[in-house]
Amino acid sequence: MTETATPRETPTRQAPSETGPSQRRAALLQWIAERGIFVFTALLIVFAAIFVDGFASTVNITDVFHRAAPIGIVAVGMTFVVISGNYLDLSVVAQVATSAVIFIGVSNLYGIPLAVGLAVLVALLYGAVNGVAVGYFKANAVIVTLATTYVGLGLLRWLSGGSIFFGPPDGPIRAMGQIRIGPLPLSMIVLIVMALVLAFVLNRTTFGFMVRCVGSNKEATRLAGVSTPRVVLGAFVITALAAMIAGFVLAAFSNTAVSTMSSGFEFRALAAIIIGGTSVFGGRGSILRTLLGVVFVSVLTNILVLSNISFGWQQIAIGALIAAAVSVDALARRAAQ
Amino acid sequence: MRNIRIMTGAASLIAIGLVSACSSSSGSEESSSDASGEYEVYALLPQGTDQPYGTTYLPAMEEEAAKNGINLTITNSQYDADRQASDCRVAVAARPDLIILWPAVGDTVRPCLAAAQAADIPVTVTNSDVNPGDKDLTAGYSGPDTYGQGAASAEIMCELAEGNPTNILMVNGLTGNSTAINRRDGFVETIEAECPNVEILAEQPGNWNKDDSQTVTSEMLTSVGAENVDGIFAADDTMVAGAIDALRAQGIDPQPLLITSIGNTELGNPLVKSGDLDGTIFQSSSWDGQNAVLVASQVLAGETVEEDLFMPSVKVTQENADDPEVAPEW
Amino acid sequence: MTTSQTMSLGEATTGFSARLRAALGRRTEWRAIILLVLVVVGALIFAPTVFTAYQVTLGFVALIGLIALGLTAVILMGELDLSVASTLAVSGVVMAMVPNIFLGVTLALLTGLVIGAVNAFFVVKVGINSFIATLGMLFALRGLAFVLSDAEPVPLTDIEAGISFGMPLIGPITPRIVLFVLVFIALHVFVTRVRAGREFYAVGGNRQAAYDAGIPVSRRLFTGFMISGFVAALAGVINTLELIAADPTAGSTALLASFAAAIIGGVALTGGRGSIVGTLLGALSLGILGVGLTLAGVQVDIQQIFIGSVLFIAVITDPASLRAAAGSVVTFLQSRKSQTAV
Repeated sequence: MTETATPRETPTRQAPSETGPSQRRAALLQWIAERGIFVFTALLIVFAAIFVDGFASTVNITDVFHRAAPIGIVAVGMTFVVISGNYLDLSVVAQVATSAVIFIGVSNLYGIPLAVGLAVLVALLYGAVNGVAVGYFKANAVIVTLATTYVGLGLLRWLSGGSIFFGPPDGPIRAMGQIRIGPLPLSMIVLIVMALVLAFVLNRTTFGFMVRCVGSNKEATRLAGVSTPRVVLGAFVITALAAMIAGFVLAAFSNTAVSTMSSGFEFRALAAIIIGGTSVFGGRGSILRTLLGVVFVSVLTNILVLSNISFGWQQIAIGALIAAAVSVDALARRAAQ
Repeated sequence: MRNIRIMTGAASLIAIGLVSACSSSSGSEESSSDASGEYEVYALLPQGTDQPYGTTYLPAMEEEAAKNGINLTITNSQYDADRQASDCRVAVAARPDLIILWPAVGDTVRPCLAAAQAADIPVTVTNSDVNPGDKDLTAGYSGPDTYGQGAASAEIMCELAEGNPTNILMVNGLTGNSTAINRRDGFVETIEAECPNVEILAEQPGNWNKDDSQTVTSEMLTSVGAENVDGIFAADDTMVAGAIDALRAQGIDPQPLLITSIGNTELGNPLVKSGDLDGTIFQSSSWDGQNAVLVASQVLAGETVEEDLFMPSVKVTQENADDPEVAPEW
Repeated sequence: MTTSQTMSLGEATTGFSARLRAALGRRTEWRAIILLVLVVVGALIFAPTVFTAYQVTLGFVALIGLIALGLTAVILMGELDLSVASTLAVSGVVMAMVPNIFLGVTLALLTGLVIGAVNAFFVVKVGINSFIATLGMLFALRGLAFVLSDAEPVPLTDIEAGISFGMPLIGPITPRIVLFVLVFIALHVFVTRVRAGREFYAVGGNRQAAYDAGIPVSRRLFTGFMISGFVAALAGVINTLELIAADPTAGSTALLASFAAAIIGGVALTGGRGSIVGTLLGALSLGILGVGLTLAGVQVDIQQIFIGSVLFIAVITDPASLRAAAGSVVTFLQSRKSQTAV
């Protein structure tokens, strides 16, 4: 990856020359679409801190981070796939579970280095298979990753026998899961570091620039002489490596690993990315937005649990939120035209 | 054993790659049908190697089947009732000598039972019993009493509470899952009947996962105030382990709290011994798998199975946690 | 529609065999046919019971195929509907909650139509990508099913009606199979013979051109999503009747299986290409594969590996995919050549 600084997209925000009501509305919507997630996240946190008992306690903030970290790590990686205009990577479910099972199961026998090495190989394999099929074969990402999910979970259960694996109660993985700096668990630190690294990759490297270009205009990018398949391949490899790290973090948190532990991760990670405001049309979005989306969903779920709201209502709230977030985005886009 | 399997497995995964795995898997396809038995039996299960319980249930079932000259065909509907109904139609069409049914959703199996009866195929039930109204369509039942497990765990809780006002948190299984519903009902109804002094302050699903349970427990502790909590019930040992971790992470000693669950698994048993977990209900997956076949072979031999064969819901506390008859299985 | 009309006009000048070849070349069902042949041959060898017990196989095909048929209407227009499985669960719960069975069925089907209309509203009026709009519905409707049912199965009030519904009508044919065939015929006629249905292809193929040609694109999109919602609700009704209870977790394996059926049947996710017949062939292949593997005693993990591999191979052997991959190889070789030349 080269370090060439590249021109960044500047938000197209025209100052309205005439302030008619419709233009004011358009400007407001656009402002919300661009800054909305920042404002909403801040409002939600302030609201929770005032009205929800116990929200602002150190213990609870750690819980929010525990909720946010594994999904967040998957989501910051998957942001690359989404920005490159390829919807999502469904197979993160299989990837996270596989990585967790390898991390605990293999390290119990052969030590952590070998387990990590094997997990990296598997992640690269996932990234390569998904990336080649979507990039070079131009196959639809939803179907390709659906297929690799089936195969991956099938293989994992067949090979691991579906058992629940747990590390020794005083082992290094357990210790890793318990490291905390203030309210920050190690998993959250990992998320922050990954977000910083990936934000750098997305914003400051040629590769990141090309990911955004491929997403916004594939044909133009291709004509400009960029190998779009290779860019897509890169996006899937990054997603796979992120999912692998999420598997480590998840396994370390509970010191257990089982093939069902990551069910629902694919759509939850996508929901966080969308709520953050990254466009599924590709081309637009940022790691920071994804991070905020993750924080927003985690805080919201945390508040609902603290208020003893049932699981069904939690699902309804998440669904409504996705609809609201993307509606604002769509209306703003329309108003801008 | 399983570690070796996963190691070789993971290695071969890299070696073969995804696509060719298809061909390597065809070997095991034959292995399941090579035991030439006298009886053909379909076992319609809602889980298998996708769940830890099923993972230890299956070998016991297959071993017993081999002993009894039974050729098993096993399906896994992944708790999708519709998928199981379809598996049932396949099974009835294959005209086996008997069907072993583990209902994915208890309320939905009557049509399957009726179809089997119409085709003169006896059905025995394993793990979770059918509704009382459907009992006359089945030839026998063996398994844990999932409702009774919840009730037994509640009895331990009642004993520990000694009539004192006790506030507890409850961590449930996966939302909508029949085992989760039955265990919850058994626990809640027994508490209401036998020790109304125990009050459930808050409940959330822990999805049978340790990490989910740890997070929701910690959040519930915050929500109701950790100082107000005297105990926790979790619907299985994996989740109770998460709940105990949540207590520790908040700096709360789990010892004085009244904590009960169900399972006595390899994760729960050490917690019982250390006194963190006050009581759990032993559930033997291998007993379950083995007796499913034993009841089936009784029926195949023409015997009538008069009574339900309940897995003994042994209460495991610190006193008997080392007993060989409650040795954890998964 | 205009695009394909001009196309066929151009071809009319050439000879019959060329025309035939062109017509066959335009078909999108090849992969499904090849797969079906392979699966049938495999089943004949390893699990011939699949065919002697054809009503069971048909039942399974109807199970995974019904939702796929409705989904095809949406995919033909280049849109997606991720909410079908949750729609199935909600409409089943709605139906079981109503004591009167006819009222229940009516309300459940209405629920499906309303959900389809809501999906279409977000896509057409608000302008949200359907993948995301229906993702929100996937969560919200599943939650609604849990809230309505109190997260427990809801037994039907009229159990006898349910039991008799599951019984064969004519020979071994159950009402599920009859309804599946009826939906297939209705949708096939709709997208091939009815103007509004044929316009689905234009909407999916080139939306701007469809607008320019005066096709009421918004109305077509509403129709498509409501078809998908209605068919998913119908599947929910059938499931609830056959199982005599509504399960709020229902449909957990339905979403991905129905997508797989449509894709294997040659329906392009980019829209404008595919057919209802293709989806039927896809569902037949997957159905026979599933029943065959079950009868052969293959455990579910291995079944998943099989089905995933089939799906993977199906999607990368799409002619466009093969061309794209070949193009990449050519570019690569050319760049090599030019490098060595320099």
